Amino acid sequence: MSVQVVVQTLPYLLRGTLSTVAIAAAVIVVGTAGGVALGLLRFAPWRGVGAVVAWLVELVRAVPLLLLLFFIFFGLPALAIRIPTFPAAVLAMSLWMAVNTAEVVRGGIQSIPRGQFEAARSIGLSEVQAMAYVVFPQAVRRMIPPFVGLCTILIKDTSLAAIIGVFELTRAAQETIERTFRSFEIYLTAAAIYFVICFPLTRFAQRAEARLLRP
Amino acid sequence: MTAYGFEWAAIARGLPYLLEGAGLTVMISSVAMVLALVLGLALAAISQAPGPVARRLVAAYVEVFRNTPLLIQIFIVYFGLPQLGVKLSPFLSGLAALVLYAAAYNTEIFRAGLEAVPHGQFEAARSAGLGELQILRYVIMPQAVRICFPALGNNLVSLVKNSSLVSTIGMVELMFVANDISFNNFRTFEIYGTAAVMYVVIVLALTRLLRAAEGRLLRAPA
Repeated sequence: MSVQVVVQTLPYLLRGTLSTVAIAAAVIVVGTAGGVALGLLRFAPWRGVGAVVAWLVELVRAVPLLLLLFFIFFGLPALAIRIPTFPAAVLAMSLWMAVNTAEVVRGGIQSIPRGQFEAARSIGLSEVQAMAYVVFPQAVRRMIPPFVGLCTILIKDTSLAAIIGVFELTRAAQETIERTFRSFEIYLTAAAIYFVICFPLTRFAQRAEARLLRP
Repeated sequence: MTAYGFEWAAIARGLPYLLEGAGLTVMISSVAMVLALVLGLALAAISQAPGPVARRLVAAYVEVFRNTPLLIQIFIVYFGLPQLGVKLSPFLSGLAALVLYAAAYNTEIFRAGLEAVPHGQFEAARSAGLGELQILRYVIMPQAVRICFPALGNNLVSLVKNSSLVSTIGMVELMFVANDISFNNFRTFEIYGTAAVMYVVIVLALTRLLRAAEGRLLRAPA
């Protein structure tokens, strides 16, 4: 164990951390927007749309993120669709984030008693209004804990971007190890940095969930 | 720019290897889950011990492994530990990392499950004259298993998908085989597509199986 190596390489790892945060932020924005749309479409009043979206979400959710990433980065160029590493990683992760967020949205909406929707309809709101003004606002509260949990998983999974060569925390660690050969210390430091980001989020999700259970 | 010709033949040639890889993925996930269930149950039981020390140690393990990337955990076991003189094969490294990661989630699920059984159940069972082990076996476990089952099932599904990460250290399973074939014949689209279909089949079959088992579990008397 060498503490000195850790101290010397920390600034570089922190630069990687900034990139990790940037990737996660981009994915959370794009993926969440897509996920809320997909989640709401499952309750669309148009025939068949909900079922098709449900199938799509289930299929994509069954594929490991690493394979989504490789399919987009290595597989699509075969169709002459060539995407550089950074956007490929953001695209694959946003897709992953979107289908998983869609599940969170579905769960949240289904947890609201159906009577709320019917009551809103009976006082003259349209289906869209009933969803937008009555059901969704109540559902959002229940979506927060699982959504924050999802963000935590995403932040951990941004490490997969290193495998296709995107510069972020894990890639920074790998590059540092190539120079110093201190894999144990460097990976441990990287793990510690991920922990510092993820643990508060996990705690927040736990507290938010406990608050929901209280009347 | 020449048009890409989709080649069914590339899939046909790769299929036997991919199926073997899929079999390995199922096997590795099953073995890892069994070990992670044993470890998780043991740690959840330990955390119920009197005094704060055991509970805090178990909680520390759970939080550390849940809040750091599995990929880094795999790298620490495979690349980091040899520096301390512990050298494991890719297979053992991958398996160890998957077990430790899944067990952290299982521990938390079991702990919450045990704590969800109302305390009155213990007291009622004790006043009925049951011993500690009997209480655990006949009163607490049947209830806790039902509470835990859906979450454990979800964790198993995650484990199947997460097992793809061990391909990065050279452990042979579906993802590794897909990489191996497509880097040799450059039919990346067909091969990764086929591998994706295989994961979908495994995950959907598993999900249906778990749902059926859950239905039976809820109906069956304790």
